[in-house]
Amino acid sequence: MGIANTNRDLPSNRMIFEVRRDPAKYGTFAENFEAIMEEYGLSEAERQAFRDLDIRTLGALGVHPYFLPQVSRLFHGTAYNHNKSAAAQAYGKSMVTEQEGDD
Amino acid sequence: MADLVSVIALSHAPGLTGWLDQAPEHEQKSLTEGFSRLGEVLRATRPDLIIGLANDHVLNMPLHDLHDFCVGTSDQWKGPAEWFRDWVNVPFYDVKGNAAAAQTIHAGITGAGFDAVAKSDLLFDDNWSVPLYYLTPDYDVPLVPIHMNCVVPPVPEPKTCYALGERIAEIVANDLPDGMRVAGRGTGGLSHDPGGPKYFDVDEAFDRWFLELMESGDPDKVLTECTIEKMVAAGDGGTTELIAWIAAMGAAAGRAAHTVCYEPSKELRCGMGCVYWDMADAPAKARETADA
Repeated sequence: MGIANTNRDLPSNRMIFEVRRDPAKYGTFAENFEAIMEEYGLSEAERQAFRDLDIRTLGALGVHPYFLPQVSRLFHGTAYNHNKSAAAQAYGKSMVTEQEGDD
Repeated sequence: MADLVSVIALSHAPGLTGWLDQAPEHEQKSLTEGFSRLGEVLRATRPDLIIGLANDHVLNMPLHDLHDFCVGTSDQWKGPAEWFRDWVNVPFYDVKGNAAAAQTIHAGITGAGFDAVAKSDLLFDDNWSVPLYYLTPDYDVPLVPIHMNCVVPPVPEPKTCYALGERIAEIVANDLPDGMRVAGRGTGGLSHDPGGPKYFDVDEAFDRWFLELMESGDPDKVLTECTIEKMVAAGDGGTTELIAWIAAMGAAAGRAAHTVCYEPSKELRCGMGCVYWDMADAPAKARETADA
């Protein structure tokens, strides 16, 4: 997993790209993310990873790494994103702690 | 004939405006003073226009339509894009662009073979919002933004970026209006890894090595030693933004950079620093290697 493994055609990548750009899309994401996942045609594996906020699996499926901390902020909020913030901690739990635990 | 009056490069990580109070006090002081001083250096050269280079962060160029560079051709910019406002924690702002100059630059770089598109509706995130807040807090210097693909392989090679900087300096000298005072600005880096396992780490040894390289005034050494692979090893997700600094060095004719400040800030999740090139210094000797 890493930048070289991005799947450029993955529906999740197109959804995240546009949700960050378009306040109306973000509104839909925040209010009914099942509907927006349907709209973009995400696979069941992608949808389940979003439901679980399983950032590591999203990366393994080919979501661009730069989007991964943003996924955490899409769910946990963007403000005051210091290391102890909910968004940074959720990212860390999925991407850092668990990875180190596998060693 | 316009004049390139100053060239600078700086980090743009959002913690600098978003959660600086969480960093140790010595880091807060060093970075606040350093970035303010860089603003003084920039403004003392009285630029009429800033040509900026920074990571697009996959915000304007989608994964299925990527280019090395994207020139912003608008007379008016707004930032930050709405979803990023709370993250970067700066007020919404307006800053003028310069569509005519941008179109001249776009034509001048595509004519020289660089892979560049033009867009008049760029969204800004931390790439410009953080530098503008510190450097030109009155948002009173027009900006031509040039977004770069720094994070989706293949990213433009350092030698391509250095040559781009050289080409921009030629366009300033030959094609922009007489008497216009132009500054160059690269933003991004230093080591950081958004999206990777080193998210909470900084590679201080790499950062200090890179700053020394910028201070060397030796373009051949920079282009030989500072490979994409070396940057990726220091943080897969973001360190490659330093190709914007290498482009800035090219615009500054390979002069030796002056470091203003550096802090390996784990709380800001980024090696944070800034440099300037004094255009009164002697340019570097001619490069031995050919361009891309």
